[in-house]
Amino acid sequence: MSVTPAARPAQWRPPGLTLGVTGAGLIALLVAAALFAPLLASHDPTVPTGLPFEPPSGAHPLGTNDVGEDLWAQLLYGTRISLVIALVSALVAVTIGLAVALVAGYYRGKVETVSMRIVDLALAFPFLVLVIVLAAFLGRGLLTTIVVIGAVIWARPARVLRSQVLEARESGHVVAARAMGASGPRIMGRHILPRVAPLTAAQFVRAANVSVLLEASLAFLGLGDPTRVSWGTILHFANARNAFLTDAWRWWALPPGLALTVAVVGFAFLGYAVEERADPRLTRGARRPVRPAARPPEVVDRGPGEPALKVRDLTVQYATGNSPMTAVEKVSLTVPRGRIVGLVGESGSGKTTLAMALLGLTRPPARVVSGDVRVAGRDVGRARPSLLATLRGREVALIPQSAMNALNPAYPAHRQIAEAAALTRAGPHAAARATELLELVGIPRPRHRAFPHELSGGMRQRVVIAMALANNPSLLVADEPVTGLDVVTQARIVELLLGLRERFGMAMLLISHDLPLTATVADDVLVMYAGRVVEQGPTSRVTTAPAHPYTRQLLQASPRLHGPHAPLAGIEGEMPDPFDPPPGCRFHPRCPDAFDRCRGADPPLLDLGDGQRAACLLYDS
Amino acid sequence: MARRALRAVAQYGAVLFAAVCLNFALPRLAPGDVIDYLFPPEQSGAITAEQRAAVLDEFGLDQPVPVQFQRYLAGLARGDLLLSVRYGRPVRDLLAERIGWTFLLVGSALVVSTVLGTVLGYRSAWRRGTPGDAGILSTAMLVDSMPPFFVGMLLLLLFSVELGWLPTFGAQPTTTTTGAAFLVEVGKRLLLPFATLTLASIGPVYLVARSALVSELGEDYILMAEAKGLSPRQVRRHAERNALLPVSTIALIELGTLVGGAAVVETVFSYPGLGRLIYESVLARDYPVLQGAFLLLAAGVILANLVNDLLYPVLDPRVRR
Repeated sequence: MSVTPAARPAQWRPPGLTLGVTGAGLIALLVAAALFAPLLASHDPTVPTGLPFEPPSGAHPLGTNDVGEDLWAQLLYGTRISLVIALVSALVAVTIGLAVALVAGYYRGKVETVSMRIVDLALAFPFLVLVIVLAAFLGRGLLTTIVVIGAVIWARPARVLRSQVLEARESGHVVAARAMGASGPRIMGRHILPRVAPLTAAQFVRAANVSVLLEASLAFLGLGDPTRVSWGTILHFANARNAFLTDAWRWWALPPGLALTVAVVGFAFLGYAVEERADPRLTRGARRPVRPAARPPEVVDRGPGEPALKVRDLTVQYATGNSPMTAVEKVSLTVPRGRIVGLVGESGSGKTTLAMALLGLTRPPARVVSGDVRVAGRDVGRARPSLLATLRGREVALIPQSAMNALNPAYPAHRQIAEAAALTRAGPHAAARATELLELVGIPRPRHRAFPHELSGGMRQRVVIAMALANNPSLLVADEPVTGLDVVTQARIVELLLGLRERFGMAMLLISHDLPLTATVADDVLVMYAGRVVEQGPTSRVTTAPAHPYTRQLLQASPRLHGPHAPLAGIEGEMPDPFDPPPGCRFHPRCPDAFDRCRGADPPLLDLGDGQRAACLLYDS
Repeated sequence: MARRALRAVAQYGAVLFAAVCLNFALPRLAPGDVIDYLFPPEQSGAITAEQRAAVLDEFGLDQPVPVQFQRYLAGLARGDLLLSVRYGRPVRDLLAERIGWTFLLVGSALVVSTVLGTVLGYRSAWRRGTPGDAGILSTAMLVDSMPPFFVGMLLLLLFSVELGWLPTFGAQPTTTTTGAAFLVEVGKRLLLPFATLTLASIGPVYLVARSALVSELGEDYILMAEAKGLSPRQVRRHAERNALLPVSTIALIELGTLVGGAAVVETVFSYPGLGRLIYESVLARDYPVLQGAFLLLAAGVILANLVNDLLYPVLDPRVRR
């Protein structure tokens, strides 16, 4: 067995924890300086206690300013004012923002439209200018500063929190509480607020971050409280009284500027960390695979007898927290040229993970651990990325799951197909090819240049099929090609696929959760359960004489249109937890025929004759 | 399409009207007598009753509020923005002298920070999780955390005071130069305030561009683009096209921030734009100028938003009708 060179999955470690600890440390340092200012400084910050422009000395650690006030005392007492203003303004802003978010997100409709429009505009408004003008008119004072800053920066928390409220509103227990007649305010207070709380905390830190800067800017422009010292007012006087013409700026302007930077960095780091906690989606991993270091030479085996697809012992794992999760385990399958093979399994059985591996599209955290995939004799696992791209679309094409969303919303349908066709032909020919294909899948000419959002679900499906066929692939992998469509459209799409397959002579791997549907079109069927193939064989054998108990149950669980009437039966129990699969046969906890050995031994695929094989110990004589 | 445009015009018109109302209300709601806002502060104690009556009559301040509002609107429509109490000249002329410099400064910073932030953000997203990405990300966060006026002070100290490479104040040379030499002098004086503003606004653009591309790269259409055999470069172009939507939104928000930032940065560099004018007016309690500048900047930002809204369908075909 050949093993793919172990591609180290790109581990994106959320920098949150380190950043969070650093940020909290910086803020704690500033809070301590503010609290212990009277102990740390021996002078009153607003009374001249030395000569003007004294350099740093034992009595004045940072020297004095132009009127002889102690700059060290100013810095420490300034920390108090700057922090208090930042935190209280942030509180005001987040309170307003949360209130708007709750009302807009909960009541929806007109209230939401109007308030969100206001939020959008408030976001785009030059708020520093507004703050300056408001502060200039309302007079300089601590309270004015706080109110003005809070009233101006509420929009960002409102916007972020609204989407969270919307999400919380649709969650199960909130819907249930509403259905039971709980009142709006009660639902908001008891159910929605707790869910929004973590993100609110994050927004509070962000708001504090902005407030520190705004207060400093205001004070720097001479709009701070004239009776109190803050970092911004120190910088204002340093700038206005020409500290930069002498060396005085080193102890006059530099310390408050650095203190400000420390505060903003601290709040920014802390905010990032809290946000990451509140919204784990932010820590999604890298998409680009890390290139394997060394690569054995690719083996090309292109005899005419080579099947369209040959998979041997393929194992795909997902790198998760502690131990890897195996999604596809030692799967082998062959699709002969021109044949249709159906791959059937419940959701979570590993079908889509397998399909991705067939095109070399396995992305971190998933990883091909062992086995190999050959498309028309070419080794997908060992192909260089440039070669892999030429394999895709030409040798093996994909109709992905949820194909309706597989079109780029920004480009017209025709252009997206022509783009694919242009990989193997010149521009004009590619455009002609796209037109030809669109006609072939039954899109009327006037709709060829339509954008995806202008087409119905069925039409988008057809466009995706046309796109997959653009370069005459020898194998088409269709992953649930009709799921999500209505029954009539389903039938038409299946018919279309079969017709096209006939016309182009492709082989096809049809992946579906629907065994009866697959049985009507496939030559051979494979049944997957929990990442393993449990039964395979010619369609007629598998459907009329299913060997594996799981296949039998799957057939009984599907309604039949023809043949004798039989009661529908669901399958007892649930798919095993992929992180903690049962020992032995994966199906034994749900199997009516399970016996002692099933709990211990892994059943191999046993040959039952006529090409039928099943992984069940019932047949192990 | 036309309906969309009409709605946008109506909405931004309403916002502009709100700004106008705020401007009208501010001196009337603020503590103290309206009259105080029309005289230089050092004179307000010594106004005679006659002067007071004359001013009340001239500005119609003895009329009922609705009438005052009407007169105010009519004045605005004529472009009449009162007199500066400091210079005794029409506010309109003062603004006209200053706006060009602010336009130059904010415009160049907006273009450069949007383009550079987007390029870096895309690069980072494409290489997500690599040391290169982590490096740019943490640098962006650090730069974003420096108060713009402090960055400006440090740049000024380094390049103008210590190294003496660049002039310390103003926007154009005091001596008469013409042609290319003049442009070089203007460029030299623009460089530091421009760099300060660009540094102040590049961080948010970078972060939005990065997260937008990361999220686009996870979409189904990217999988399909890869599956149909496109090269990585072609796939990347698909994603980048769609990630431009949030980038255009943040660029507009940054315009608002930049206009505000200009107030402090122009102050640091004594750059003769609207921001510096606002600062001077705050110190001199020149309220009519303050009001005029606010209205002008607000109108500018609202206009930019309107243009963006009208052009948005070019970027996103889904909102075309």
